[in-house]
Amino acid sequence: MRKSLMLLIALTSLAAAVAQAQGASELQGLEQQLHGLGDRIQRLQDLTEVEIVQDAYGYYVDKAQWHYLADLFAPDATLEIGGKGVFLGRARVFEYMHVGLGRLGAHDGSLIDHQQFQCLPTINPDGVSAQIRCIAFVMSSGGWGHNYYEDQFVKLNGVWQFKKLHGPFNMYSGYKVGWLDNTILNTTPEKWPPYPDLPPTVLYMTFPNYYIEPFHYPNPVTGRPMPPPSPRAGGEAFGR
Amino acid sequence: MAFTSKAASLALSVLLGLALCTSAGAKDDAARLAALKSRIRSIAAETTYVEAITQIQRLGRAFGFYTDKGYFGEAADLFTDAGTFQWGVDGVYKGKARIKELLTRHGGGSMSDGPGLPFGRLNLRMQLQPLVTVAADGHSAHARWREWGLLGEYKKSATWGDAIIEDDYVKENEVWKIATRRYFLNFEAPYQGGWASLKPVPGNWQSPVASSFPADAPAPAQYQPFPAVFVPPYDYADGTLRAIQSRAPFVSPQRPDDALGKLEALADAKELQLARAHSVRAIENLQAMYGYYIDKGQWQKAATLFARDGSYEFGQSGVYIGKPHIERALALMGPAGLEAGQLNNYVMVQPIINVAADNRTAQARWRSDVQWARGGKGRWGGGVYENEYVNDQGTWKFSKLHYYVTFWGDYDQGWVAKPYPMDPPSTTIPPDMPPTVVYQSFPKLQIVPYHYNNPVSGKPTPGEQE
Repeated sequence: MRKSLMLLIALTSLAAAVAQAQGASELQGLEQQLHGLGDRIQRLQDLTEVEIVQDAYGYYVDKAQWHYLADLFAPDATLEIGGKGVFLGRARVFEYMHVGLGRLGAHDGSLIDHQQFQCLPTINPDGVSAQIRCIAFVMSSGGWGHNYYEDQFVKLNGVWQFKKLHGPFNMYSGYKVGWLDNTILNTTPEKWPPYPDLPPTVLYMTFPNYYIEPFHYPNPVTGRPMPPPSPRAGGEAFGR
Repeated sequence: MAFTSKAASLALSVLLGLALCTSAGAKDDAARLAALKSRIRSIAAETTYVEAITQIQRLGRAFGFYTDKGYFGEAADLFTDAGTFQWGVDGVYKGKARIKELLTRHGGGSMSDGPGLPFGRLNLRMQLQPLVTVAADGHSAHARWREWGLLGEYKKSATWGDAIIEDDYVKENEVWKIATRRYFLNFEAPYQGGWASLKPVPGNWQSPVASSFPADAPAPAQYQPFPAVFVPPYDYADGTLRAIQSRAPFVSPQRPDDALGKLEALADAKELQLARAHSVRAIENLQAMYGYYIDKGQWQKAATLFARDGSYEFGQSGVYIGKPHIERALALMGPAGLEAGQLNNYVMVQPIINVAADNRTAQARWRSDVQWARGGKGRWGGGVYENEYVNDQGTWKFSKLHYYVTFWGDYDQGWVAKPYPMDPPSTTIPPDMPPTVVYQSFPKLQIVPYHYNNPVSGKPTPGEQE
């Protein structure tokens, strides 16, 4: 009687322990699922946050708010726009804008709308680095501009910011006849201050010449990287 | 023996009690566990749904970045093997090889020499304003896009292009692809004179490409380009408003302090984060939808996108409150449906969308470029929105739309040589309130206040001069 009772008790607690262990491992599995989903949800949020930094940059350029603009850059970020060469660090980003492009703030009669179009952000698997390809479509007092951005971002202390801003020019033209023939071929490092810390990483001319800035992403359907352009297409710079 | 039997019965009753107790608890736990599992499944499905929207946006933008540099083979590879491309009234081209040649011929590339464009060729076809609806089954989707083209050849031609694109997508082996593209060209207008100089096109207006490279099938429907008014059909997938919906506001209950409760609270947090990410896409779609209605003078449809007590303010027009007043205010732009020769393109771009922590409201900054024509005269316009939105039981609506005009400029002479001032408040349909901000448009400049702090430094960025 006593023996069978002891056996019963032992068996019951064993079953309970097994059930508990099963329950615990099931909960562990669910927790893993939730964390896996959480990572994917975080990527969705990251896509929006990276695009916000890029778009905020465009709105600050509109009104020459160079302090606000420089604040979007990591302390050791770099900037390279057009053919002007590379500027190192947040202070030099500010200098490029303030010395090179004009005094602070909006000034009547001077339109520099620097619009961000067609932005294609990519969050890397590490979750703390990202890239974006965007068009900057410029409507200014001088006329039209169509440029690209291929930028890199870094997430520091949970905040996405520019790590590298690279803005190759595509086409700049005046208003009267547009891109029919009134185009500007590119900027250069030496013509006006500030002068760069490093020479341009690539030499190219803009429309009517051909230059393609490499895509940071493979073809979204085939997964293949971009093929090089035809040698007939343009100058020596393509493909870098 | 008595002792033993007493002890045994005591032990038995304790055991029985325990068993009963755990079985009641177990039953409760089992129900909670089942509920949690079901919530995890629905979080997974919603995550996949929102990812689909972003992947389809990516497809369209990748297409734009390929065509503008003459990567027509790469662009055609975004289609399914049996993919089709309807080019306006030219007809339907079937399969990747034909689509590649179609894009190459329109873009000025070479079929034999590989990707790229020859010296002097401009083929910028910017893919903007996506309005994406994913079908309930998650395997097909639909989107409307706007293409804004800068086209031409150095020293020979410069042309503006305007088109609406209606796409169907399918998911094959976990990859989204374009299945069907209907490209509704609205105009290709010479830079000199612009769209306002275009004359009605009599009869057949197929492109030169259609005769040298005929389509595989005729276009399902004929239409006339600008200055005629043509509204490409809206195919919102299955006719629902899913595109502008996300989760209705919810409050998560206090969860018990046990192992399961911790997971329930974790699921609550993920659910809210996901709802807010989903809301960003719904608000993008809402703003795009509003723009597509305004394009075509569909004032009544546009007004339905506002909350019951929503407000509308355009430039110095003053503030209109409530759907009936907003519809009348929109009609200040022209007759419903517009007349031939009236162009009212408001391109919706550069969103900065911030959804409130509780997913009940949101704010966004947007920009519009305006391509405008009335009475044979063309204009450019530009401006910035600072809008507010409300989550009305899962459907996002405008609670406040405020468009700040940056400039209006004459097409022929440009905004520098011939800017136009904003219209004052209407006297025929007066606003409910005067303008909330008094300012002048270009050549005066106004910094539109930002609803957000600097996204990196977190510091406020006042609109006034630094």
